[in-house]
Amino acid sequence: MPWMALLMLLGVLALAPWWAAQQPFVLHMLVTACVLVVPAVGLNLMLGHGGLVSLGHMGFAGIGAYVAAVLMVDARWSFGGAVWAAMLAAGAAGGLISLLCFRFRGHFFMIVTLAFGLMLHAVMNNWDSVTRGAAGFAGIPRPTPVRWGDEVWSFGPLPHFYALALAMAVIAFALQYLVVNSNFGRSLAAIRQDERLARSRGVNTLLYKTAVFAIGTALAGMGGVLQVSFLRVAAPASFTMLESINMVLIVIIGGAGSLVGPALGALLYVALPELLRLSNEWRLVIFGVLLVLITLFAPKGLAGLCARAWRRVWPPQSQTPAGAKP
Amino acid sequence: MSYLRIQSLGKRYGGVVALDGVSLEIAGAGIYGLIGPNGAGKTTLFDCLAGTTAPDQGRVWLQDQDVTGWPAHRMARLGVARTFQECRILPEETCLDNVLFAAQPQGLGGNLLQMFTRGPGHRVAALDEAMRLLHLVRLQDHAHAPAAELSFGQRRLLEIVSTFMAQPEVLLLDEPASGVNPSLLQVLGDFVKTMMAERPRVMLLVEHNMAFVMDMAQDIIVMHQGQVLERGSPAQVQASAKVVEAYLG
Repeated sequence: MPWMALLMLLGVLALAPWWAAQQPFVLHMLVTACVLVVPAVGLNLMLGHGGLVSLGHMGFAGIGAYVAAVLMVDARWSFGGAVWAAMLAAGAAGGLISLLCFRFRGHFFMIVTLAFGLMLHAVMNNWDSVTRGAAGFAGIPRPTPVRWGDEVWSFGPLPHFYALALAMAVIAFALQYLVVNSNFGRSLAAIRQDERLARSRGVNTLLYKTAVFAIGTALAGMGGVLQVSFLRVAAPASFTMLESINMVLIVIIGGAGSLVGPALGALLYVALPELLRLSNEWRLVIFGVLLVLITLFAPKGLAGLCARAWRRVWPPQSQTPAGAKP
Repeated sequence: MSYLRIQSLGKRYGGVVALDGVSLEIAGAGIYGLIGPNGAGKTTLFDCLAGTTAPDQGRVWLQDQDVTGWPAHRMARLGVARTFQECRILPEETCLDNVLFAAQPQGLGGNLLQMFTRGPGHRVAALDEAMRLLHLVRLQDHAHAPAAELSFGQRRLLEIVSTFMAQPEVLLLDEPASGVNPSLLQVLGDFVKTMMAERPRVMLLVEHNMAFVMDMAQDIIVMHQGQVLERGSPAQVQASAKVVEAYLG
């Protein structure tokens, strides 16, 4: 049943260019949600599944964004190649930096990730010769049009770019699904629940945590490329500490450790100001209040609330206890 | 070839000498009781054997391989499995998943590959054995329930079952009987004896419950102030004047 709901949701999202044909801002919002959800999935792997709270996540998205920008503008790479290079660069940087961060635990770990996020932002903001500094890196092209016989599919029009953004979001979710339902994912869950126990079961916890950090930051890099290709400019302002903290909020409010959590969090994040007709500044206030309410009453986030409502409407048929596997 | 050989192992924490030149040889399979007053260094010895901490001096050989200072995950893969005094399980996983996790291969490369090949691998192969072990400790009805729902005594059983599931050569049980009620303790004792009879291996048992350890162990090692005070059969140790003075009272 949850699969049916998921497919329906995906169908509704895929058909958005048709049902929202008269309302381009809806499509714009959905693209923004996709841009946010790709790094959010990466952070969910680290935070929700591995228990590693990173407060510098968007710094790694920035690495991906600027690597792609330099490659596409200065070196005239194609979008596809730039995505791979960006993911590789962000993932490698994430893996290396995480090795330094893992020398600290708990709150200290979080503070060190925050510090690295700030450093990355400072580099983007000040390395004028490469990143064009605070003014931003303008003139980033949309992906080159795809030719299929006589058909030409350019990514200029919003519905076309939306298709690309949705596809990248789906890839991120598919990767998350693979990670969570694998031996690697089970070892990560063990590390989150009891790191000493995981180690005594033969898990090289440092290596595993580095690996999930690399995968998570590679996804952040992928989100960074998607963002700058959408906005056609890479600006340091997109990769600040505040954006990193927003990312943590999206993951926790959506439901840390849940498969659909990042999607719910990102959709709410972009939809809230529109729904309430409020200015952007109020969004953080509302998100802050939501965060308090959710940590108090729904530790599994929106995804947990949805799952609970689902079980109330369609109670499980079998007599086996909740969570049982056939 | 001896299972385990320890030579003048030393470890200090600040000014406290936890281990003061412990030498020990475990030649054959069986259950070895490790007793002594609090602070005698029993858990520190376990930590050094399981790789949780590295000793300051001395050497450890496991089946004639020098494993001094190896980290915990390497010792685990070599066949050293331990339980913890404070009892550690994976609370969010089901009991069955707890047991199956102990049988999971933990190489990072192989596990990253398994993400994409999605082979069921160990989970199918180990399922029958996992259920059999859960039956032995009468946790089969809880197999699909989260481990957090278990009572403390049941958690102990789950922890020990998981430890055996890893097919270890050397088992280190740190106070398995503490906090376990008498009927569950009976189940635990029977389970351990069954498993030890099925396959020869070494079990070191740190325990303060004298009736339990004297019943289980063939050989008792008494530790006192970071040193081995006495070693012998349960009857010999209970008769030893030194041991009575230092510990049994």
